[in-house]
Amino acid sequence: MSLSDGKTQLRTEEMILNVGPQHPSTHGVFRLVVKLDGETVVEAEPVIGYLHRGTEKIAEDLQYTQIIPYTDRLDYLAAMLNNYALCHTVEEAMEMEIPEHAEYLRVIIMEMQRIASHMLFIGAYLLDLGAMSPFLYVFISRERIVELFNEISGARLTYNFMRIGGLRFDAPNGWLQKVRDLVPQLRADLKLCQDLITGNEIFLNRVRGLGVYTTEQALAYGMSGINLRSTGFKWDLRKTKPYSIYDKFDFEIPVGQNGDCFDRYYLHMQEMEQSVRIIEQALDDIPDGPFIGKVPKFVRVPAGEYYTGIEGAKGELGFYIVSDGKDKPYRMKIRKPSFVNLQMLPELLKGQNMANVIAILGAIDIVLGEVDA
Amino acid sequence: MWNWATHPVSWLSFLGMLIGTVVILLLTLVVVMYSIYWQRKFIGWIQLRIGPNRVGPFGLLQTAADVFKLLIKEDIIPNKVDRVLFMIAPIIAFVPSFMALSVIPFSRTHVFTANIAVGALFYLALSAITIHGVMIGGWASNNKYALIGSMRSAAQMLSFEIPLGMSIVGVVLMAGSINLNDIIAGQQHSVWYIIPQVLGCIVFLIASTGELNRTPFDLPEAESELVAGYHTEYSGFRFAFFMLTEYVYLFAMAGLFATLFLGGWSGPWLPGWLWFAIKALIYITFQFWVQATMPRMRVDKVMPFAWKVLLPLALFNLVITAVLKAVL
Amino acid sequence: MFGFMKGLGVTLRQLPKKKVTLMYPEQKPVWPERFRGVHRFIPDLCIVCNQCARVCPTDCISLSGTRGPDKKMRIDTYDINFDICILCSLCTDVCPTESILMSDTFELATYSRDNLYLDMHWLYENELAYERNHPERFVKDAEGNVESEKAGDAE
Ligand code: SF4
Ligand code: SF4
Repeated sequence: MSLSDGKTQLRTEEMILNVGPQHPSTHGVFRLVVKLDGETVVEAEPVIGYLHRGTEKIAEDLQYTQIIPYTDRLDYLAAMLNNYALCHTVEEAMEMEIPEHAEYLRVIIMEMQRIASHMLFIGAYLLDLGAMSPFLYVFISRERIVELFNEISGARLTYNFMRIGGLRFDAPNGWLQKVRDLVPQLRADLKLCQDLITGNEIFLNRVRGLGVYTTEQALAYGMSGINLRSTGFKWDLRKTKPYSIYDKFDFEIPVGQNGDCFDRYYLHMQEMEQSVRIIEQALDDIPDGPFIGKVPKFVRVPAGEYYTGIEGAKGELGFYIVSDGKDKPYRMKIRKPSFVNLQMLPELLKGQNMANVIAILGAIDIVLGEVDA
Repeated sequence: MWNWATHPVSWLSFLGMLIGTVVILLLTLVVVMYSIYWQRKFIGWIQLRIGPNRVGPFGLLQTAADVFKLLIKEDIIPNKVDRVLFMIAPIIAFVPSFMALSVIPFSRTHVFTANIAVGALFYLALSAITIHGVMIGGWASNNKYALIGSMRSAAQMLSFEIPLGMSIVGVVLMAGSINLNDIIAGQQHSVWYIIPQVLGCIVFLIASTGELNRTPFDLPEAESELVAGYHTEYSGFRFAFFMLTEYVYLFAMAGLFATLFLGGWSGPWLPGWLWFAIKALIYITFQFWVQATMPRMRVDKVMPFAWKVLLPLALFNLVITAVLKAVL
Repeated sequence: MFGFMKGLGVTLRQLPKKKVTLMYPEQKPVWPERFRGVHRFIPDLCIVCNQCARVCPTDCISLSGTRGPDKKMRIDTYDINFDICILCSLCTDVCPTESILMSDTFELATYSRDNLYLDMHWLYENELAYERNHPERFVKDAEGNVESEKAGDAE
């Protein structure tokens, strides 16, 4: 067999590579089976479920208040938003009145949480791409938010802070002032990230035009959040289906143009700026009042089926509750944005090389606690 | 000047060589230890951390502790590896890196290093051998990540070797010699070559970063993609050898950079070895600084970058140098 | 090339800034008043109403009590399994007498799971330690007895 005669070529084989479950860049216990031809991916198959805890099933056996700590552990980087999503669904189902003060406080907290979550995305993404420092810088900024959450709720990660009808505590004395002082600091931190990352040619070279998909594709896969908006489709539940008091604030929904990884990165940056704006406005208007409304001793959702979604940090986060009128849900289903967004991965990875696999996976921004629930 | 080459090899001169080698080896080990320490401290400060601070005063013995840990670790040779190749790969990688040091003039007098006529060429030739060690290591490990890492490494080191060589040629033209000592002598009489050779210097900086597999060209060890690259399966002192190789090259490259562009040991007031140390430290610190700032390049853009950007730049620099040399 | 340089400038500017590292084992973090660490328990106040055990989402509290001669319930055993406790603080929410509360002890690491079953005595010790560490959080009545906690945590 000669190499040169054209017909009988050197036999090459595809190589199956298990990326994960223990791999530095899979953001948790996630496994990706990729079939490689050289360094080019022929086929990729995500394997999930390593972190499955059966949250939905456990919830059937718990009272609504008891479910809240479990929602902390879905997207553990945005626990406040998860707390709120569940409380909101139950409140909608019970047609509860939430005091203004509580709603404003909730919005401030949720937007802070969104910033913290996006910050972490930026850091982790850049770490995937090989830059170490941004990770530590965003952790410092995130720490400022987490410290404030620690002060108000008593925990740093799993807050368990929202309650059906309001919040667990009111803000301690001086807390709102601290948030006010944080706003310029956050702006400065964002500027640092912009200076360090956004203009960097190596970074741009790496993520521009990578992992492109169209709005149609994204919609067909049911994507939401930044993953959808990066294609230029304006869909943010805070604006399109306003919940809570988001219709009172003046903010923008940034959208991308190309639907590539750079747009997804940049949207995170822009959204944080918008979140800072919302926090500022909410701080100015926050009225006094009770931090929790009138809640019956036993929270009983009237029989029926209810669904509400909110704009989580990763996309539409929804709780679907089937109730038979008891104080526990008959069945609960969580619409987990990370899980839905992940579905397009095999299609996106086809034909890419190993280095891009990590860049594309990172840009989708999954949190395994949420994917596996 | 007393020279190894002009004397016949006798037992006494052999002993002298041996002592010289051991001294250089110890010196290198100390330099490597403290460049790792400095890397951790410096990057730590940039990242608003304090870096190593537990072992010894200011953590000065941290690297020593790490090395000690690596040395007493169990020597693991996985079952399905090619035993012989697996064992000799770190040696093949390390030996040339150490040999390359032999031409770097640390100070005015060549006490322990050789003053050979083809110094620059010798360095380039030796550093190419290390690639074999890396490739063999990756191949013998029988691990897919290691294989990809070693292939990337080979491709990358080879392609950066050429612009690196070309950028050196500019300096060689200026000095009219490949002998590193003559190059320094040339700079003593005029200015440091970093000024007339600015373009060559930039190409050298970039290409040497690629050659050293450091950020932003650290693809062979891209830990977020390839776990640890070619040394995924290595542990204990074999791994230590690969690490050592990497940092010895960093030192050697710093020495080369100082020699070629910053005038080596020459400089006023201070003793030569101190000038050399300062200049090498500048290069090393620059590498760490870049490492703390940059993300990694995309693998499919590195090779075109080396061939389509760096090489033409280096050639352009060469032409300009030649023209200037002829005109002036 | 401009963005590249700008990045280098940004990292260089961080060099002289104050470092954020907390030298942990020597230097302890300062926790806010609401911090949810390991529980503390005051046996004298407990009326064995079992609400904490019922509300706990992970079922990690087990308790038992007997009726004393004065017809009041007294707690006999009270164990929390910190292997599965998620420190959600729901138990402290429902306790009508505030006999179970959160402290700011947080170092629970140990070599054996058995060590994570903590009983009433340990939890009471923890309460005493908490009182020692944070005297300012307790107001004292005329006789000098610890009466109640300051406002802010009382909800
Ligand atoms: S903190 Fe939560 S999990 Fe722990 S004992 Fe109390 S209710 Fe149970
Ligand atoms: S809720 Fe409070 S009073 Fe009731 S059993 Fe638990 S600790 Fe005792």
